[in-house]
Amino acid sequence: MAAELTSIKLNPESHLILDQPLLRLPHELARRNFKTVQRVVEREKEYVLPALRDAANASLSNTQTPDQTLAALDAMISRMQGLKRKMQSLQEEEKKIQMQSRKRIQHLEALYKIPSLADVKYDQWSRVRLDRLLVDHLLRSGYSESAKQLAQERDIEDLVDLDVFTQCQQVVESLHRGETKEALQWCGENKAALKKSQHNLEFELRLQQYIEMVRTQDPSKKIDAINHARKYLVSNQEPDSKEIQRAAGMLVFAQDTRAEPYKTFFSHERWKFLSDLFIQTHHELLSLPSQPLLHIALSAGLSALKTPLCHSAYTSSSSNSQSTTTSVCPICSTELNELARRMPYAHHSKSYVEGDPIVLPNGRVYGKARLLDISKNNGSVESGKVKDPTTGDVFDESEMKKVYIM
Amino acid sequence: MDLVQKEHDRLLKKLRTSQGINNVQATIDMLQSARDTIAADPNQAAIALTRLQNPVKASFNAINDSLKETHGGLNKYTKSLDKLFKDRPLPSTEHDVLSEQEHLINRAIAMHLLREGQFSVAATFLSEIAEKKDLMHNPASPSSSASPESSSSLLNLDEVPSPEIRKEFASMYYILSQLKERKNLLPAIEWSRENREALEARGSNLEFELCRLQFVWLYHGESDMSGGNHVPGNWRAAMAYAKREFHTFLPRYIREVQQLMGAMAFCPNLHGSPYSAIFNNTSAWDDVAQFFTREFCSLLGLSADSPLYIAATAGAIALPTLLKLQTIMKAKRTEWTSENELPVEIPLPPSYLFHSIFVCPVSKEQATDENPPMMMPCGHVIAEESLKRLSKGSRFKCPYCPNESHMKDARKVFL
Repeated sequence: MAAELTSIKLNPESHLILDQPLLRLPHELARRNFKTVQRVVEREKEYVLPALRDAANASLSNTQTPDQTLAALDAMISRMQGLKRKMQSLQEEEKKIQMQSRKRIQHLEALYKIPSLADVKYDQWSRVRLDRLLVDHLLRSGYSESAKQLAQERDIEDLVDLDVFTQCQQVVESLHRGETKEALQWCGENKAALKKSQHNLEFELRLQQYIEMVRTQDPSKKIDAINHARKYLVSNQEPDSKEIQRAAGMLVFAQDTRAEPYKTFFSHERWKFLSDLFIQTHHELLSLPSQPLLHIALSAGLSALKTPLCHSAYTSSSSNSQSTTTSVCPICSTELNELARRMPYAHHSKSYVEGDPIVLPNGRVYGKARLLDISKNNGSVESGKVKDPTTGDVFDESEMKKVYIM
Repeated sequence: MDLVQKEHDRLLKKLRTSQGINNVQATIDMLQSARDTIAADPNQAAIALTRLQNPVKASFNAINDSLKETHGGLNKYTKSLDKLFKDRPLPSTEHDVLSEQEHLINRAIAMHLLREGQFSVAATFLSEIAEKKDLMHNPASPSSSASPESSSSLLNLDEVPSPEIRKEFASMYYILSQLKERKNLLPAIEWSRENREALEARGSNLEFELCRLQFVWLYHGESDMSGGNHVPGNWRAAMAYAKREFHTFLPRYIREVQQLMGAMAFCPNLHGSPYSAIFNNTSAWDDVAQFFTREFCSLLGLSADSPLYIAATAGAIALPTLLKLQTIMKAKRTEWTSENELPVEIPLPPSYLFHSIFVCPVSKEQATDENPPMMMPCGHVIAEESLKRLSKGSRFKCPYCPNESHMKDARKVFL
């Protein structure tokens, strides 16, 4: 066997390509969590310190009754208690995230201890990875229940991001129902991070609210729409931007208009656009790849395994469902055959055939030892004869002819 | 990876020892005690409040310090992650062919789940697919309206495995679990009898292998139960079984049966006999289980191991190479010219090679349906296009031996 053709070397560093989001995502969550802590602390500080100073000044200059002082102090105490509660719950959250990260690091670390791709441990590790990829794919496609169940059965809940995707899915569904509330709430929670994003999700959502108000054609609603536009749209964009102008222009059109771009504005397709935009923004924010990891792995894998024989009109002599010593090729198997049809096949620079190949009178090539073995085990074949396992033709052993494949 | 681990450990430690909340509590205590003082004696208010200014400020600063520390830890961890994944961005395929074939992927997943014995997950998955479809077809009605008829008719579409396939996998899973967990070979033997003809056509000796293991199991059976005393096994039961069942194998497996019978003569101390290998094969059960799975799936026209697993694993192995290729192509601004074929060779472990591969030694191209391998009378094989180019319609010399032949003497071979 040619040395270049196969390799069982495992290079963990480069093998982790698919696993980047595994560590990135919880880390993004942790950072987000941290920023929230920072924000609440800052907010209370801004309140308590001046309040305390004012209270001190007031009581020094005797402009405050003791009751007022006490009330001010009580207010401060209750705010601080609120802060403590918030910090505690955020810390719990943080702990949860970091423990999850830890488990994930351990899972990846295990790969470094596996000596080669042929090792049984690699097989186990790779199966866990497949389960992870499957859960990721299921979650992204909206099959949350299946994803949850699979993660539970395989005990990999710490290695997948059920919560994140479930929340994302909820927002997406609300957008499909034509509701902007949850998406806007999400925007509010991630305001700081969204500033860096190149997509203007919040603007698009506000614009949609505006569109819905205009759609009614009710004069009072239109006034609301104008106010809404002043409040949310203009503050977000340059006032003379195209979008604003278009939004203003919309006021004179009804929803059955054929004039572009207003027709697109009124179209229900716009909700689909919004939910796609939301998903895109959401994944970007959390360093999630835009396509399911399973797709990335599969498209590489299908090509690496595919040979010209997999979609050939002629049955291959090797790895077909008839031959005993080799199992059916995964690309030829029903599950993946159609999927692989449009993929390029793998490049090979050397032939690879069974040892000691012979050709039968019908042109089929087999390894001599294997063919003799199959025929021996087959009760219906007389001794001195061989049976072609693909076609079922029986030939005399003397009809086997040596073939040279370089 | 070590660096990531270390930074994360540090981060965790910082998290555990974080003083933030204690500082908040301290502030609350200070405010509370000041309040108590003032409540007891309102005249103290000015002094108490003035005294409070600096400590409260200090404790806020302490909170911020501990936050800064956490922030530092987070940043260091970010850097270690960046370092680990440096130069390893996720491959971006601008054109994701697979996402257009969502239903095929879903079918592959459903079959994978069935194959792995995850029947309940598979059932949930299928019903979720049906529900989603329902939603797509009539978006007005809520999802719960998926009536039993519509969901069962959906399952017959080619998108999801047919009920027959599901039944087959269920029975395969049952047989395997009996075999592995309870050492009960009977369901497997029964299956191999039912499919005897198909198995024989494949030249498979599964049925005999199963029966032989049953014989060995019967022989060992009782002595295993009685707690490891090595008195002769239950050879009577084994022999009775042999008498009852082995006659069907007699013409073909006479040698193997003779071996088993011969072994019985050594009964009390089989360990010292030449036959001990047959009776003390520790991997026998795993081997037979694997053999059974392979045969079962082959008869269904499916591969023995989950194709999804093989493909995803091969993908993970192939990705580094493909990624490198992508970077090089980008740097050199070349396009990938061979549309149907990957431009680089991807080394996979030997177990991932399924078909024979023929690369024409003359043109270095892989044989395809349009350009099949042709054997010259001397037994050397080259691709048809190379053959045409060499012969130009007249007699020509084989490029590998002195033999001369004519184009029409060459024959197509199937690898």
